[in-house]
Amino acid sequence: MSPEISNQSLLFLVVFVIIPLSLSYFYQLGLSKDVLWSSIRGTVQLFAIGYVLTWLFDLPAEVGIPLMVGIMLIVATFHARQKGKELPHILPVIFAGLFVVEASVLIMWLTFDMVKFTPSEVIPMSGMVIGNSMVAMGLSLERMKSEFKQNNGRLLAALSLGAEPKQASHLIIRKTLNAALIPNVDRIKTIGLVQLPGMMTGLILGGVEPVMAIKYQLVISLSIFSSVSISAMFVTIAMYRYFFNEHKQLLDSEEEIESQQQSH
Amino acid sequence: MFRFENVSQPPLKNVNFTIEEQDKVILFGPSGAGKSTLLFLFNRLTDPEEGAIYYKDKPIEDYSITSLRKKVGLVLQSPNLFPGTVEDNLRYGPELFDEWDEREAKKLLEYVQLPNSFLDREVDQLSGGEQQRVSLARTLANKPEMLLLDEPTSALDNRTAEDIEEVLECLIEDHKLTMLMVTHNLRQVRRLGDRGLFISDGTLQEDGKIPDMLDNPSTKALSNFLEE
Repeated sequence: MSPEISNQSLLFLVVFVIIPLSLSYFYQLGLSKDVLWSSIRGTVQLFAIGYVLTWLFDLPAEVGIPLMVGIMLIVATFHARQKGKELPHILPVIFAGLFVVEASVLIMWLTFDMVKFTPSEVIPMSGMVIGNSMVAMGLSLERMKSEFKQNNGRLLAALSLGAEPKQASHLIIRKTLNAALIPNVDRIKTIGLVQLPGMMTGLILGGVEPVMAIKYQLVISLSIFSSVSISAMFVTIAMYRYFFNEHKQLLDSEEEIESQQQSH
Repeated sequence: MFRFENVSQPPLKNVNFTIEEQDKVILFGPSGAGKSTLLFLFNRLTDPEEGAIYYKDKPIEDYSITSLRKKVGLVLQSPNLFPGTVEDNLRYGPELFDEWDEREAKKLLEYVQLPNSFLDREVDQLSGGEQQRVSLARTLANKPEMLLLDEPTSALDNRTAEDIEEVLECLIEDHKLTMLMVTHNLRQVRRLGDRGLFISDGTLQEDGKIPDMLDNPSTKALSNFLEE
């Protein structure tokens, strides 16, 4: 049975907004405006995307899929860039990384007939892959910057012993990748035990057999797992070099890295 | 061995001096004077904006950066050891150049007066003084011709600092190393140095013999510093 939520029922969701609003009011958290604004914005965004998806799903696959996936890649690139905008070539590196990840996953899905080349299957699943990869890239960039700051002394020690920037950064690359991958390993480990994954829940609610829903969930979970790993590795390995100049010297401030960017 | 000609790199201004082989030079002066910057210029962890630096009569740019850094070893204020065991740290430098010989490990520990049993110890289990000794041994593992020391005892208590000084004294003598050490500590200046470079406001104010320059300072800047 497909779920049916009437518009009237939907109106009662206001209760879920009133709770945080009251909390904010009673404890003077000053969040009332944010709670209200984010709830309205979220609702409008979701309805808008609902209409856009309906329109996209009616388009021929060879038009709808590249169009929406292209938009997703561009938006995700600009969003992930925020975490490392002082780094040179950050925009093309992130875009290339996301593109390669999405293309590889898509080829895999289609080759082995896991997903049909229709907008209604490829677009939501690509959205999950691109979204998770975007978050992984942003987190990796952030983590890498803080590791470079924290390990300034160790990096200087390694360089002063004759290490190349790549060798000196080894520890940082390892820590960054570790931090990006651990949450995913944990998520996969507890999948289905601690939380029922969103996609599976959605399919079951939509009337799909649980075993079939699990198969889809496996495809998406493992696709996300590998995309996140590749994204984190790609962005870390592509970007660590910009923390050094051509004389194998460590650039220790954002200003120095930015001025390096201008000279590139 | 090293010649600095009109070297400027903020906060340093127009610095000129020469260091001969086996010199034991102490670089001292108030905080922010540019002492660490000067030290980093020797192994190209930074480069001068103006002026020239020569190593064995050739501009330092003529040497490969990594081989220059191997020849001019640096010990930093904090030990900054790499995660792992003492041996992992000792082999780090030589392995970069495919020169690690396992028999060296014990010898290196001997130089810094640590027992052999330390080789397998995790570095985060060592005391501050022990860590600094390992850091020193790690630099020595590269068999440097010159040793740069950036306030290597400033993070240690007096007693541990004196132990490290003793280790340094023996090392410099036994290995005929050229040494340039930055310190704030006037007792160390007298104990470890033959020659002093006093730097203040980015300028080399005095270059003289120790202890003469401390007993009879010829600039007001040094007199003021000694009175503080």
